Amino acid sequence: MFTHYIDLAWRSFKRTPLVSILMVLAIAVGIGITMTSLSVYHMMSMDPIPSKSSKLFHVQLGTMDDGEEWWTEDSLPQQITYKDAMALYHANTPARKVASMRSGFTVHMNNDQIKPFLESTRVTGRDFFAMFELDFLYGATWTTQQEQSAAPVIVISEQLNDKLFGGENSIGKEIYLDDSSFQIVGVTKKWNIHTKYYDVTNGAFNDPENVFMPITQIAAMELPSWGNTNGWKFEEVNTYQQRLTSEVFWLQFWVELDSPQQETQYRDYLTNYLTEQGKLGRYTREEAFFGLRNVNEWLTYNKVVSEENKILVGLSFMFLIVCLANILGLLLGKFLRRAPEVGVRRALGASKGDIFKQHLVEVSMLGLMGGLLGIGIAQLGLWGVRQTHDYYSALATMDISMLFIAPFIAISACVLAGLYPAWLVCRTTPALYLKTQ
Amino acid sequence: MLSMKNITKVYQTEKVQTHALRDFNLEVNEGEFIAVTGPSGSGKTTFLNIAGMLENFTSGDFMLDDVNVGKLSDNQRADLRNQKIGFIFQGFNLIPDLDLYENVEVPLRYRGIKSAERKRRIEDCLEKVGLGSRAKHLPQQLSGGQQQRVAIARALAGDPRFLLADEPTGNLDSLMARQVMELLEEINKEGATIIMVTHDPELARRAPRNIQVVDGQLADFTLYQSRESGVLVPEHANEPADKSAKAEV
Repeated sequence: MFTHYIDLAWRSFKRTPLVSILMVLAIAVGIGITMTSLSVYHMMSMDPIPSKSSKLFHVQLGTMDDGEEWWTEDSLPQQITYKDAMALYHANTPARKVASMRSGFTVHMNNDQIKPFLESTRVTGRDFFAMFELDFLYGATWTTQQEQSAAPVIVISEQLNDKLFGGENSIGKEIYLDDSSFQIVGVTKKWNIHTKYYDVTNGAFNDPENVFMPITQIAAMELPSWGNTNGWKFEEVNTYQQRLTSEVFWLQFWVELDSPQQETQYRDYLTNYLTEQGKLGRYTREEAFFGLRNVNEWLTYNKVVSEENKILVGLSFMFLIVCLANILGLLLGKFLRRAPEVGVRRALGASKGDIFKQHLVEVSMLGLMGGLLGIGIAQLGLWGVRQTHDYYSALATMDISMLFIAPFIAISACVLAGLYPAWLVCRTTPALYLKTQ
Repeated sequence: MLSMKNITKVYQTEKVQTHALRDFNLEVNEGEFIAVTGPSGSGKTTFLNIAGMLENFTSGDFMLDDVNVGKLSDNQRADLRNQKIGFIFQGFNLIPDLDLYENVEVPLRYRGIKSAERKRRIEDCLEKVGLGSRAKHLPQQLSGGQQQRVAIARALAGDPRFLLADEPTGNLDSLMARQVMELLEEINKEGATIIMVTHDPELARRAPRNIQVVDGQLADFTLYQSRESGVLVPEHANEPADKSAKAEV
């Protein structure tokens, strides 16, 4: 009977093509706009590293005086000082951990074939790649010894390798960052992350860096920060050495904790560390105060998906409701005009349920057609969003789950709009129309 | 087979109560061909709709093949209607988008009959009404008489116990009306029970049994027509509600 209902629905579509196309267009536009905003929202809010998001923890330290406030919800600074970062990084804790910051250089090959260009650089620990599941195309991360000695080695991304070496294996080759030559020890595969969760302080939706170098280069090369630097008290910071020992926050710190026991142990470690630092007189805070949030907690804490985005999704759904209201009106007209035929079908043995199902299949078909067309409109909308700013290049896309959700929403919405007209038409008294046809 | 006792049908609006049927009593036996006559608005169609379970009645008892119709749910009535009753309407009521084959197929689909069996029945019925070769035609490509024959084929396809016909020749010229009537008579001879509402005294006279509805009541008598003489003979008489109506029969 289901295929028969589909056949009847298609005949009905052909019988009133203009009204049917209007309804499909209305649902398509509604779905297109809704899916555009929903797709961006979905990409913004999705778990960026599902396999490890509950094991990677971002560390915040309350190293300000008691009573000092920050603009976060719990008054904890998002970043930490260099001296804390180094202390935590070199601590004898079993966890895998990295400190990192964003810097940048002019990249060139010391020849006239490649025009120099600016490239932001992630200065970090050698475990960064393993922690954040950034795989290698060629080579590997730098060695512990290279890191400890601040050797001039770097890892570059596949995109940069394509640009500089045409995609060839560039391990062992050298490139110049500003005036210094660096040897390439690894080339990472393309990193498809939609949210730059490991450093939300520099734009949560910016592209990841294309150059990575050991954390020890910060002090060795006196690297400038291309990220945010924040202080909470007056300090003389006139030399780079003063900056390294200051209370200024400019590095991020992550640890990988594989079990609740490890998490407890690390919390104990942080408590002890902060208590010791307090005793050294760095700040007037008696109790250790820190934050240890996993990836998703960290993104929520930083309100990576802004209220504006949520409002936009809400507004687009309201637009869809307006489209549905129009569809409801058109369906009412279309279905009630068919009441005489329904009367005949009822007289010939159709139950109210049969009539109801027939009409729901028809609205579902309209919803499916509208949904498929809506995906096209959404793709057009997302393309338009991507053209507005590079920032949206990774976000304004529709993944496979959204591709499947679109027709589902369209069909559900159409069924919702069609419930009342279908209910109304199945309640018609058949006798009323049989004599008057 | 079909028994109505003290059936009442009241249409209620905010201000007015209209008694379409009142204390309506009727017994129909298997194989009968009954013509129902009466003035416009007397309740003939209401009676037919109630007999066909297209409308609910307000009070009374209605038994159809030992099933108490008053106690059935809407879906049960739809099932019973589909299995036991075939309808023929004055306006044919064919579905314009469906070809003749598909129109005849409609009641069979609701009964859940399998495709091969449906095909056999549809072809048989269309052959029976002389339209076997036009199965793929749309209703609007046929004359009124042909459309009514399709409607009869549709009514017969489900092999119903009752055929309820509401002015089946009302929209046809006399020649076509006669052909349709002959077809109904043939169907009746094959065993189907037919109840036909008509305004046409000549057609009514051809039915073996005539009843008259006046003011919502089975007014005055049940007539059996002598097949030999064509004269209406009273079988038994109730107290007439409207003497003039009696004279019209």
